[in-house]
Amino acid sequence: MPHAEQIDPIRFEVIRNALSEATEEMAIALRRSAYSTNIKTRADFSCVLFDSRVRVVAQAFAQPVHLGSLSLLVPRMVEAYGAENLGPGDAILANDPYMGGVHLNDITLISPVYHNNTCLGYVANLAHHVDVGGGSPASIGAFREVFQEGVIIPPVKLVERGELVTNIFDLILAQIRSKREMAGDLRAQIAANNTGVRRLCALADRIGGDTVSFYIRELIAYTERRTRVEIRNLPNGDFSADGQVDNDGFTDRPVHLAAQISIQSDQICFDFTGSDVQRSAPVNSTAAMTFSACAYVLKCLIDPDVPVNAGFYNVVQMVAPEGTVVNCSPHAPVVGGWETQLRLTDVMLRALAPAFPDNIPAGTKAMVCHAGFGGIIASTGEYYCFLETLGGGYGGRAASDGPDAVQTHGQNTENAPIEETEINYPVRIVRYELVENSEGPGKFRGGLGLRRDYLFPDHEASFTILADRDRKGPRGLFGGKPGRIASYFLNSNGKTVRLGSKTTVQLQPGDIVSYRTCGGGGYGLPAERDPERVLRDVRNGMVSRERARVIYRTEIDTEAWRVNDGETMRLRSEIT
Amino acid sequence: MAYRLGIDTGGTFTDATLIDEETGDVHVGKVSSTPRDPSLGFMEATRRILDKAEIEPIEVGYIVHGTTVVTNAIIEGKTARTGFITTGGFRDLLEIARQIRPSLYDLQFEKPRPLVPRYLCFGVPERLDARGNILESLNEKAVSAAASQLRREGVESIAVCLLHAYTNPVHEQRVGEILRRDFPEAMVSLSSEVSPEFREYFRASTTVINACIRPVAARYLENIQARLREEGLTAQLLVMQSSGGVLTFGAAAKKPVFLVESGPAAGVIAATYLGDTLGHPNVISFDMGGTTAKAGLVQDGRPQVTKDYEVGATAQAGAGGARGGGYPIRTPVIDLVEIGAGGGSIAWIDPGGVLRVGPHSAGADPGPVCYGKGGEEPTITDANLMLGRLNPDYFLGGDIALDAEAARKAIQQKCADPLGLDPVEAAHGIVEIANAAMVNALRLVSVQRGYDPREFVLVAFGGAGPVHACRLAAEMEIPTTLIPMSPGTTSAMGLLVTDLKHDYSTTFICQVDKLDLKEVATAFSNMEKQGWAILEEEGVQDKDKDFLRQVDMRYVGQSYELTVPHSGTEFTPAGIEALLVRFHREHDRTYGYSAPEEPAEFVNLRLSAIGRIAKPRLRSLDSNSGTPALKTSRPVYFFERNGFVDCPIYDRYTLAAGNIVNGPAIVEEIDSTTVIHPGYRGTVDTYGNLILTGE
Repeated sequence: MPHAEQIDPIRFEVIRNALSEATEEMAIALRRSAYSTNIKTRADFSCVLFDSRVRVVAQAFAQPVHLGSLSLLVPRMVEAYGAENLGPGDAILANDPYMGGVHLNDITLISPVYHNNTCLGYVANLAHHVDVGGGSPASIGAFREVFQEGVIIPPVKLVERGELVTNIFDLILAQIRSKREMAGDLRAQIAANNTGVRRLCALADRIGGDTVSFYIRELIAYTERRTRVEIRNLPNGDFSADGQVDNDGFTDRPVHLAAQISIQSDQICFDFTGSDVQRSAPVNSTAAMTFSACAYVLKCLIDPDVPVNAGFYNVVQMVAPEGTVVNCSPHAPVVGGWETQLRLTDVMLRALAPAFPDNIPAGTKAMVCHAGFGGIIASTGEYYCFLETLGGGYGGRAASDGPDAVQTHGQNTENAPIEETEINYPVRIVRYELVENSEGPGKFRGGLGLRRDYLFPDHEASFTILADRDRKGPRGLFGGKPGRIASYFLNSNGKTVRLGSKTTVQLQPGDIVSYRTCGGGGYGLPAERDPERVLRDVRNGMVSRERARVIYRTEIDTEAWRVNDGETMRLRSEIT
Repeated sequence: MAYRLGIDTGGTFTDATLIDEETGDVHVGKVSSTPRDPSLGFMEATRRILDKAEIEPIEVGYIVHGTTVVTNAIIEGKTARTGFITTGGFRDLLEIARQIRPSLYDLQFEKPRPLVPRYLCFGVPERLDARGNILESLNEKAVSAAASQLRREGVESIAVCLLHAYTNPVHEQRVGEILRRDFPEAMVSLSSEVSPEFREYFRASTTVINACIRPVAARYLENIQARLREEGLTAQLLVMQSSGGVLTFGAAAKKPVFLVESGPAAGVIAATYLGDTLGHPNVISFDMGGTTAKAGLVQDGRPQVTKDYEVGATAQAGAGGARGGGYPIRTPVIDLVEIGAGGGSIAWIDPGGVLRVGPHSAGADPGPVCYGKGGEEPTITDANLMLGRLNPDYFLGGDIALDAEAARKAIQQKCADPLGLDPVEAAHGIVEIANAAMVNALRLVSVQRGYDPREFVLVAFGGAGPVHACRLAAEMEIPTTLIPMSPGTTSAMGLLVTDLKHDYSTTFICQVDKLDLKEVATAFSNMEKQGWAILEEEGVQDKDKDFLRQVDMRYVGQSYELTVPHSGTEFTPAGIEALLVRFHREHDRTYGYSAPEEPAEFVNLRLSAIGRIAKPRLRSLDSNSGTPALKTSRPVYFFERNGFVDCPIYDRYTLAAGNIVNGPAIVEEIDSTTVIHPGYRGTVDTYGNLILTGE
């Protein structure tokens, strides 16, 4: 419909704010009313507003891995279901990774927004459900094909004219171990979409549906304009790097990842040609997952004020050959895809390091590092499932150390409070601390990894580690050294054995599973580290005195807590 | 003892309000704050207002203080040297914190640095399970060793937070005893006393903040007390807490973590009081100053309170609160939505060619362009001046002469020309964009939390609040707006109209259908005993003591609680049933659904022990039903009239009760300006409040 309205820059800004507030309100509704710790405390979800052509208009999320994935997923789901089959008060649910989705745990709910019988657009939210059935509690593990990973949901109507479709709801719940949590989380997802629908309709009531649509189009054009201006300001060139996921969970063969990034004028293209072919193992990323890594990297390079919507995504060009670990085809398993996706982000940043030496960090944890477990609660007979992901070291930067024990890149989920975990689940956390001396040495050191030990006092739990980094630590940059590798242990009957990074184990009462996550890579030469920083690390027990002497060439007087300047100078002169 | 004095120390000014309890006469005063030693500004403000009112120090019955000393100590890193003792194996609770990054795409992000360095953190062997049973007894030797190490390191204060101490404090109490025995000079804060709620990092963080500001707060409060006594002021000394009540100086010095949002809380309390005196228990408060605007909501005479707060956070909000930029505390804080839109907020054109306002602010120095103090970026104040809303010769009563021409030039060059707009259009745009952001803040505290703004009265204050209030009320469809007298000092007035309040909480996780009512009653009565004792100490008569009971509830399996009030003092099955009904209703209101068929559970019990303080009477104005005296008129821009109209200007001080001012009109007073838009009318009530309503 032709629209004669002129763009009013003031109205534009007012509407832009209202649209992003609408998605923020959806996020608040979802977060607060969800049942699972994973959604509430760990904020593993995303809320998006789409226009009538199913283009992203505004997005609220705490996890950058959700950047972009919904922009591919929702249009395909709506198309597959048929926009004409969606009426007011309807909502469709889906998680099929081969219809644009990600891993099965991330379930998306999509609702059309009708205003005066016209479809203004769609609201959608994606939430990570702790369990979606499949071969092990929390639905993570080393599987050979996607069918083992849990229930696959093609787009189906979960809500019809405002009423829950109980057949579908019950069918899905029947596949799930932790039913009550999932039922509560799905209700929270419905509440979030209802909030979004209400807000968008209220806006259309105030200013008219046509005006909303007009300014949405303008907002997308504005965003693309700004994104292109930002890219034009980046250094031109072709940048490449490669890296690996350490193993695939079935074989020791590393998974090769290759990234070439080309920046020319106002275009940026991410090309992963040369990455390994997909495997029957938990290392395959879907196209939507890989796309979100590209979007994340671009977002890190440009003005944070640029909004995220279709105008931004339009600019992200990706070449990800089908049938590879960065764009897998049916019926490869996808649960480990985020491990690959995060590592790929590290590889891309490494490629860009020479062009952006002041901004790019050394290698980071760059793995999800899942801990999932479940079993039967003896007193109630109820099946419980638990999932969390552990932080590790960040990479050193041009002017600062890498922070200790944090989530990296696309992942920013919180830790589950120990007390809350012990109240709700039959597990005891017996240690939670930094891993001393795990940092990658550098002029600016990498962050320390962390240790978390899980004890199961009274039942036979099933425990799954889905992680990586136990062969190679995150790489150093510009002379910095790699961070210490991660390691995973089982302590059973007083004996400690090493576990693989992608393993499911059946535990006996009293067993302990221990995670030690990797440190971040260092930046610059360790011997150039400011001795005062070395002193602080030694005093804080993060780095040993010996390590300070041998690696950082710094002598610390641990009586007076001072740098021994003379000895430090001597040590440093030896190497130059 | 006929006077009450409120001293509100802000970043720029220290405000004083003195009220005569008999007549309700109010004196207000302002001096510059003295950030290096805030007690200097405090004393200066006190002396001046006593002089101005010509009263003797002895005549002041009590003094209430709103302070930012606690927040500033944390933001500026001026906290005391503090030690931390926790369960063995968990020494790094503070270092690891929440393992998140406060900003998602900033590769140079930093986690907030722990307030206790790692070498002053100790894990001592001991362990309880989630029910409070002892799994491993306390290793007292390890505590002694930690105590002597902390003593050698010269710490002043120690925070103790052991796992599951919220349910059984036995080990923490023993640690406290050992520390007091081995290291009596140290101040000890136990998590089970400061904030006995589950979720260890948050409890530890609350306790550590309390510990590391205790020496600072104690010295500050003692210093003020000594100076006041020297000058002959014998008044009772109270300090405002973040949750809205007041504490005695003595109690505040022990639990300073309760003071973090002391100042902003006072504004909401004032709004609550004003609403109350006029029979409006449901109020939205809107406080707009130089750098930010704050919105809060009061329902049934009670300000909404949050337990989800971070001190010193600079991170952006997002996705229901992207967090981790500051230090979380779990003590109650009045729930305010604060946005970067104040009079000094800067208007700019972004690289995509769109007009934006804030969050950068010109602050008080250099301030808006029109202040003529070197500001070059156009601000909201400049736009309001250009639209004729502010009087260049009567800003702060004429203390600052505003340069209208400079404001116009800045708006033309920086906003209008690049967009191809007329400068007046641009100025109007700046105001409208700021209004939109403020409407969002008002929606967040009301609509988003399930409240219908049409059922509330908007109370607008702060120097800039009354300039924008009429438009905001129109957008929000709020029928009635109240502009108090001297809106610039409303917050200081709030200090004088609150009660003594002590907040207690305890974790009590139990499914509702499995509750032992006796245990619930015992848990509440334990808290009540503590509250009773401290109110006794403060000399509160029994008839003025009041205890409010609330329960944090959720559906079994959820991990976010809603706070539901319990009416009455008894715990009968019928009372619990009523509580449950209230919970379902609250859940429905807040999240748009409830699930009455799902089991619900108790999580925390909360008790507020309140010592009622008689409220001062507001002074009544002489009544006069005639038309108010016109001060002057000038051209003022109203978009409803498509441009400038010759607008009548009134002097607030000449308005009498019963006067009616029809919009368009402007009402000027020393510390603020009220804009009445066409279609609105202002009625002066008995107390001098200006009540704006649509026609």
